[in-house]
This record gives sequence, C-alpha cells and structure tokens, in this order.
Amino acid sequence: MKTLAALKVLVVEDEALVSMLVEDMLSDLGCIVVGPAAELEEALRLAGSADIDAALLDVNLGGRPIFPVADALKARGVPFAFASGYGEAGLSEGHKGATVLQKPFREADLRKVLEGLAAQVV
Amino acid sequence: MSRAEEDGFEDLVARLNTAEQALAEEVRRSRALNRIAEAIGAGHDTDELVQTVVDGGVELTGAQFGAFFYNVIDAAGEGFMLYSLSGAPRSAFEAFPMPRNTAVFAPTFNGEGVVRSDDITQDRRYGHNAPRRGMPEGHLTVRSYLAVPVVTREGAVLGGLFFGHSATGRFDTRAETLLIGLAAQAAVAIESVRARDAAQAELAQRRDAEERLKFALDSGRLGAWELDVETRDYTASDICKANYGRGPDDDFAFADLIASVHPGDRDRMSVAIEDAIRHGAEYDIEYRVRTPGGETRWVHARGRAAQTADHGGARRMAGVSLDVTERKRAEERQKLLVNELNHRVKNTLVSVQSIASQTLRTTGTPEAFRDAFEGRIMALSHTHNLLTEQNWEGVSLRDIFDFELQAFAPRDRVDFDYASDLQLSPKATVVLGMAVHELATNALKYGALSVPGGVVRVVWALEPGERQGSGDDPRLRLTWTEQDGPPVAPPTRHGFGARLLEKGLAGELSAQVDLAYDSLGLVCTMRLPIRALEP
Repeated sequence: MKTLAALKVLVVEDEALVSMLVEDMLSDLGCIVVGPAAELEEALRLAGSADIDAALLDVNLGGRPIFPVADALKARGVPFAFASGYGEAGLSEGHKGATVLQKPFREADLRKVLEGLAAQVV
Repeated sequence: MSRAEEDGFEDLVARLNTAEQALAEEVRRSRALNRIAEAIGAGHDTDELVQTVVDGGVELTGAQFGAFFYNVIDAAGEGFMLYSLSGAPRSAFEAFPMPRNTAVFAPTFNGEGVVRSDDITQDRRYGHNAPRRGMPEGHLTVRSYLAVPVVTREGAVLGGLFFGHSATGRFDTRAETLLIGLAAQAAVAIESVRARDAAQAELAQRRDAEERLKFALDSGRLGAWELDVETRDYTASDICKANYGRGPDDDFAFADLIASVHPGDRDRMSVAIEDAIRHGAEYDIEYRVRTPGGETRWVHARGRAAQTADHGGARRMAGVSLDVTERKRAEERQKLLVNELNHRVKNTLVSVQSIASQTLRTTGTPEAFRDAFEGRIMALSHTHNLLTEQNWEGVSLRDIFDFELQAFAPRDRVDFDYASDLQLSPKATVVLGMAVHELATNALKYGALSVPGGVVRVVWALEPGERQGSGDDPRLRLTWTEQDGPPVAPPTRHGFGARLLEKGLAGELSAQVDLAYDSLGLVCTMRLPIRALEP
C-alpha cells in the first residue's frame, strides 16, 4: 500500500499532446513520471526493468496493441490501468476486467484509478 | 314355275341383291371407319386431326359437306372457336359469324345429344332465333342435317360435328351411329393431342426457367451445388468449383469440399448442414476456404434440404455459393476504420483538453489564453482538413508547412530548400502541424516575422543513421532558421511551443530537437527517424 506521493508511474502513450497532459496531471498529483514511452519496444524495456510502482497504458500504440506490455507488468506484479477511448470493449480476452481509464478523463478520474493501483502495491 | 313362284323368286333375288348391297355398303363403311380411326390416331396436331375427322364424317354419312366447330383456349386464357370444313370451300362460311347457341345448335354445343333431321327447315326448332330466323342469305342449302357433339369422357364439350345435304332424307340411323362413334374417337384423340401439347409446353417452360436460372446464377457469379444426403454424392457447377479455386474439370467431391473449409469454420459448417438435413433449417453460412493454391477466401453458401414424403426425411440438399471475399475484406476494412475513427475522436478530445490545460498554465490573462488557445485549435483543425483532403492516407511535409504558414506569412518571407518532399503518416502530420504552428506563432510574435525584412529558411535533407552498419534508420534533418529579425534570447518561462518541440516530438516521433536562441534568430533543428514519419 502506497500513497500517490512519489509513486513512480510508467506512462505509455504515443501521442505527444496526450502524454503532456498526463504528465502534468501526474506531477500535480505528486507522482513521478517514468517515460513516457511512445514505442512498444521502449515500453517493453521499461515495463521489464524500470523502477516503477504502477503503469498507465494507452491501449493502441501507433496501431499496435499494448497487451505484451501489460503481460510483462503482470508477470512482475506491477499494477496497471489501461487508458482507452474504447472503454473495456477495446481489451483483449486475457485482460477483460482490468482497470480502464476512459479517455478523455479528468484529473480526479486519474487520481481515483491511481489510488486503486497504489493500494495494490506491496 | 308358277307365276306366283316366279314373282316370289324375283322378289327373293331382289331382296338378296338389296341385302348384298347393304352388306357391301356396311363393309365399305366399316373399312372406312377403320381407316379413319387409324388416321385419327396418327394425327399430330389438332388442325390435322379435326380435318381427318370431318373428311371421315363426310365419307361415312354421304353428306355433301361437313364442318367441325371446336373450342380452343389461347395463350392468354381466352376461349374462342375454330372450324374445319369438308366438301365446301372456306369462302362458303367466311361471310358468316360463328354459329350461336340457337335452338338448332344448342343441343350440340351444350353436349346434350344428336340432332338428326330429314329436313331441318321443317324442324320445330328451326327459325326461332332473331334476327335471321333460319339460315342467313347466301348460306349453303341445307335440308338433311346431322349434328353430333364431341364430348370427353369427363363430359367436357370440345365442339360439334355438323353435316348437311341439299336433298332431304339423306341421313339414316346407321349414319347417326357411325358419327357417334367417330365423335367419341375424335374426343379421345383431341384430348390426347392437347395433353401432349400441354406436357410439351410445360417441358419447354421448364427448360426456359432452367435457362433463366442458369443465366441468373452465372451473371451473379453464383455457384450451384447439390448433395445426396445418403450417399454424400456432391455435384457442383463450374462457378461453384471456381469459388473453391477449382477448374471446371477438377474433381470436387463432398470430402474435398469439407477439406477446403478452414479448420476453424469446419465444425460450424457441419453442424449447419446436419441441422438443415435433420430439422429442415435454412442453410445459410459464411466460412473461410483454402484454395489448392493456398489462398484464403470467404464463401457464402445458402441452401435447403428437400423433404420427401415417402422417406420422412431429406434425401437431397441443394443451394448456391458465392465468393464474398471482397465484401468480407471491405467489412474488415470498415471495422478497422470505425475503430480508428473512435480512437481518433477520443484522442482529439484529449488533445484539446491538453492544449487548453497547457495554454492556461502558460498565459497570464484570459485574452492571451483565448488568443493562444484559438490559434492552436485552428492549427489542429487545419491539420485535420489536410488529412481529410488526403483521405487520411498521409500528407506531404511541404503541405504541412504551406498550410500552417499561410495564415502567418507571405510566401516570400519563407524560403524552402529540399531535394525531395516526404509523405507523412496521419499521426506525424498532426504533431508536426502543431509544431510548425508553434514555430510560426513564435516567429510572428517575437522572431523574424515580427519585423519587415525578416525571413525564415526551412531546409531539410535525408541523412543516414548514426549507428551505421547496425541497421539504424535513416533520418530527416530539418532546420528552421530565422534571419534578419530582432535579436533573441532564451525565454525565461518554458512555453507550450518549446515543450511540444523538445519533449513532445522527442516522445512521439523519437526525434531529437534542438532549439538554439542565436542572437541572429531562432534556429530549430530536428532529427526525425524516417520510420516514425512514414505512413
């Protein structure tokens, strides 16, 4: 169980304007941004080895699905949430039921999701 | 020999002669009847047949002339009357209308019975009907009259046989009997010819229908197939075979069909076939097939099992098949497009949210916010216009500059220098469009475009990747150089534009961006990997 203060959050997002907003929101919430990663290879590298407490993943990364990154995080026991315009409909079978942050979202929505993730951090 | 004896002998001879003559006449008539009956049986069509009947009737009865009036139904279902004549030219009747149901004719046309008269003009039924009250003027003279209805075994009246003679007392009971027999034979013969004609017409109709069906199937690229439920004997038309990548001469048995179907769809297909056979369900299914050439196609098959009464179940199943690969691909493309559109709409909303949020952080007054925010939203909108014009398939780098700069500077204030233009992906277009907008706004506010005489030079060229030999991507090196403007200094506050250029492009396009606040003017250098730019 952790608080949002100094929570290290990996951000995977391929659109500059979107990731800038997320970075601002996370900074406002006191979190430390890791990334943002805009490419799958970079995201996989960070998900596998970076010092992170949680992750926020854009479902669609330049037309490529994010799920390998989610699998890597799951394997490491790092809690994560998806950010998606599709809602849960865009998720693959293996990740149905995962936390989804519906785009667009308010800072308060992001806070709630992050608090949920922080609660899972052991 | 006494006189009485002589008289008696002569009488006997005379009676014998009469009897011999009568016998000869009877034999002649019998032979004629046989011959006529044979001719009737050999008749090929109704016209020929009725002519034989009328001719035969004239011969058998010794009439001067005879006629057969008979009812026919035309193709439109209308009934009308035709006639055939013997012993008189057609011109003898052409001037008159068809016989009506007068008192004389009615028993014949209604199939009630024979009308035989030694002198029809003296018959109690003659001359009662207006306007003519008897035979019309110019009609052949008829005194002896014999008319027999031609009626089928079921009692349907086909027509009537009419015979006449200008002398009285010409038709005896024997003639009447013969005619009744002739009429019966005629009825049977006409019926059988009509039945044969009807059967042939139906056959021709079926052949036409089959031709039309084949034409429809061919022009719709529809294949036809049939399956024997018990033996699993499968027949497929040429087009049907072609749907599965087979030639017209290739074998294509039921086992081949099943083997062609994609393993992932095979169970579904088998269940659908069994369902159609067992429960009479509509067989309507789309499945993937693998052609012998290794190609994957989509086939839409429809069909139905024919229920047979004696069997209690289905014996045959038949249907059509259609290659729907193109449609399926279009559907998949459309699904992708709709998903992509959903993604873009939501991401665009987040982009607007992001622009609003960051503009708010970096502007001091509501007026300044509005000015900057509107400019950025318009820039985003311009990029979308460009993309829409190009059908979201990619825009060239030069187009982006032209589009974003047109609101800021006359053409002669911006110099371009490049060897070749570059097509960009929609994603790269959006972010580069925004970057160019920020550079231009900055130049107009603080840089070279803020004073007369200041110019901007835009230069780009391809350069090989840094890590040569390691498969590194080639990059685009692009510089934005401002000249002859006011001296510039690094800004005290890091604005949205600088952040977008230095951080945003770096993240989204894996770019290296360098902003040099040279005293002669701003120089922005971008190194963009080609792989991040291309559609």
